[in-house]
Amino acid sequence: MLKIENLHVSVAGKEILKGISLEVNAGEVHAIMGPNGAGKSTLGNVLAGREGYEVTQGTIEFDGKPLLALEPEARAAAGMFLAFQYPVEIPGVNNTYFLRAALNAQRKQRGESELDSMQFLKRVREKLAVLHLKDELLHRAVNEGFSGGEKKRNEIFQMALLEPKLAILDETDSGLDIDALKMVADGVNAMRASERAFIVITHYQRLLDYIVPDVVHVLADGRIVESGDKSLAHRLEEQGYAWIAERKLAGAA
Amino acid sequence: MNAALLDSYGTGDAREREESWRYSKAALRALSQHDFIDADAQASVSASLRAQFEWPQSTGRRLVFVNGAYSQTCSDASLLDDALMIEQASDRRVVLTIGAAFDGVLHLVYANVPGMQPSRWQATSEIHVPAGNASLIEQHVGEAGADVLGAIMTDIHVSARAAVHVTTLSDLPDSASLYRRTQATVDDDACYAVAHAILGGRLQRFDLGVELVGAHSRFDSRGVFALRGRQHADVHLDVRHGARDTACDIVWRGVADQRSRGIFHGAITVAAGADGADAQLSNKNLLLSPHAEIDTQPVLEIYADEVKAAHGATVGQLDERALFYLRSRGLPLEAARGLLIGAFCRSVFAGLAQTDLRERIEALLDTRIPAGGAGA
Repeated sequence: MLKIENLHVSVAGKEILKGISLEVNAGEVHAIMGPNGAGKSTLGNVLAGREGYEVTQGTIEFDGKPLLALEPEARAAAGMFLAFQYPVEIPGVNNTYFLRAALNAQRKQRGESELDSMQFLKRVREKLAVLHLKDELLHRAVNEGFSGGEKKRNEIFQMALLEPKLAILDETDSGLDIDALKMVADGVNAMRASERAFIVITHYQRLLDYIVPDVVHVLADGRIVESGDKSLAHRLEEQGYAWIAERKLAGAA
Repeated sequence: MNAALLDSYGTGDAREREESWRYSKAALRALSQHDFIDADAQASVSASLRAQFEWPQSTGRRLVFVNGAYSQTCSDASLLDDALMIEQASDRRVVLTIGAAFDGVLHLVYANVPGMQPSRWQATSEIHVPAGNASLIEQHVGEAGADVLGAIMTDIHVSARAAVHVTTLSDLPDSASLYRRTQATVDDDACYAVAHAILGGRLQRFDLGVELVGAHSRFDSRGVFALRGRQHADVHLDVRHGARDTACDIVWRGVADQRSRGIFHGAITVAAGADGADAQLSNKNLLLSPHAEIDTQPVLEIYADEVKAAHGATVGQLDERALFYLRSRGLPLEAARGLLIGAFCRSVFAGLAQTDLRERIEALLDTRIPAGGAGA
């Protein structure tokens, strides 16, 4: 589904990703862990198409097609979804209106029929229940006045509604209490399917107790320095990222 | 022509007028290249132009002025009674007295109808609100064609304990230019509340002077201009707190795309002795193109003690983070821009009590908001 080859990315002239290769197949959950500044969020942003990230080398294929030439909205329509680390507050733009416009824009792009408001609301109600979000949030402006936990749950709610092929969760667990963490994990697990893949970016192993990954990658200083199964996450938790730094030194020597 | 326009447009002495037209001098000069003839007061109003102002909500309470002159045929005054006194000194001068018993909203329409060649008109009006709570809609519309230059001088007098709410909606084709000079005086415990939407037009200049002469009088102003192409709007507010415990609250937003130009000048003066005054002014602007320009000047002059005053003005661009967020969910760039610009403008009118009017302004804003050809 996703094939990244030798990806180099610079931000404002500084190289952040230094040759990443990663293959994610449909049905898989990949976790990307690593210390601050390793380039985890950069990877998520590059995949979603944010401006300001210069790909200096390498390729990304999504569903067999080159991804990098696509605008962010075209990537969304193709099935890419990024749950933001810092969801943006957009005063004056109604949440429901925005979501329906977004969903229908995607459907239109894919040549599917648009949902009318009844069909849309039915779908909304189903998904809200899973995330224990209040109806009332729908009538507010996008993320405006939402608590930190509500913002993150709203991201997962949007994901549930938009039903992407590949969802990237950028530190969705940060700032969540244990109950909210479980709700987020429930939301994700409910969506796990053979035709859908996830990339879960996180600092901590805790989230991975609830969303059990197929593969864990450790990203440090712009490179994937280690990949393994879920036990790798536990080892990181016990030994810390310093252990990785040592391995990196060993690798360089 | 240029000098003559400046003489009749604007207040103060020659130097003050010159200064206040600083940013619009070139636009005015371009306009004065035309040889204007007097606009036809009898010009016929097309069905499409009528459709712009024949709102079901204002049936029976609508006064229409064609090229500045009162038009009996276009107006619909069937529901107006003695509570509204209309005194017509000439066909381009009207005096309205809105009594306390006046019910509903009075709809004033100024229609600009072009002739074969550039034409101009000038009208004056006086509005008195001796008591009660009056609501007015002042609408400016126009047909595209040869240039039309209109000028309206309005005096508004809000008597003690009265309140008047005025919503002005000026949506003009690029061939129409409009100069409006409104002077309001507000007596003890009276309130003058206005909301303005300025859309389109070749040159729109709006001078609003407010004298808070009565103790505890209040002025509220909400406004937006949304411009594109080579449209030019120039707004000058001049509020003078002349009595104790007076208040003003001014919130304006501006949007300029393509090669348009917007000017906002908001001056508040608190005179000596006007203690307890509360003056608030906020002006935020969005610049959508490198070729557009917005100039904003908040001016605060305080000669009294014990005054609460705050003013702020910004010119910025669309929030890239918000734009990316919307696009990452599948909204095309233009739709995402439109959504953000619309939200920016609409926020000003959020508090407008008349829901149908707010919706009408919002719908108009949506059609006038620069969406396509970003920054072209």
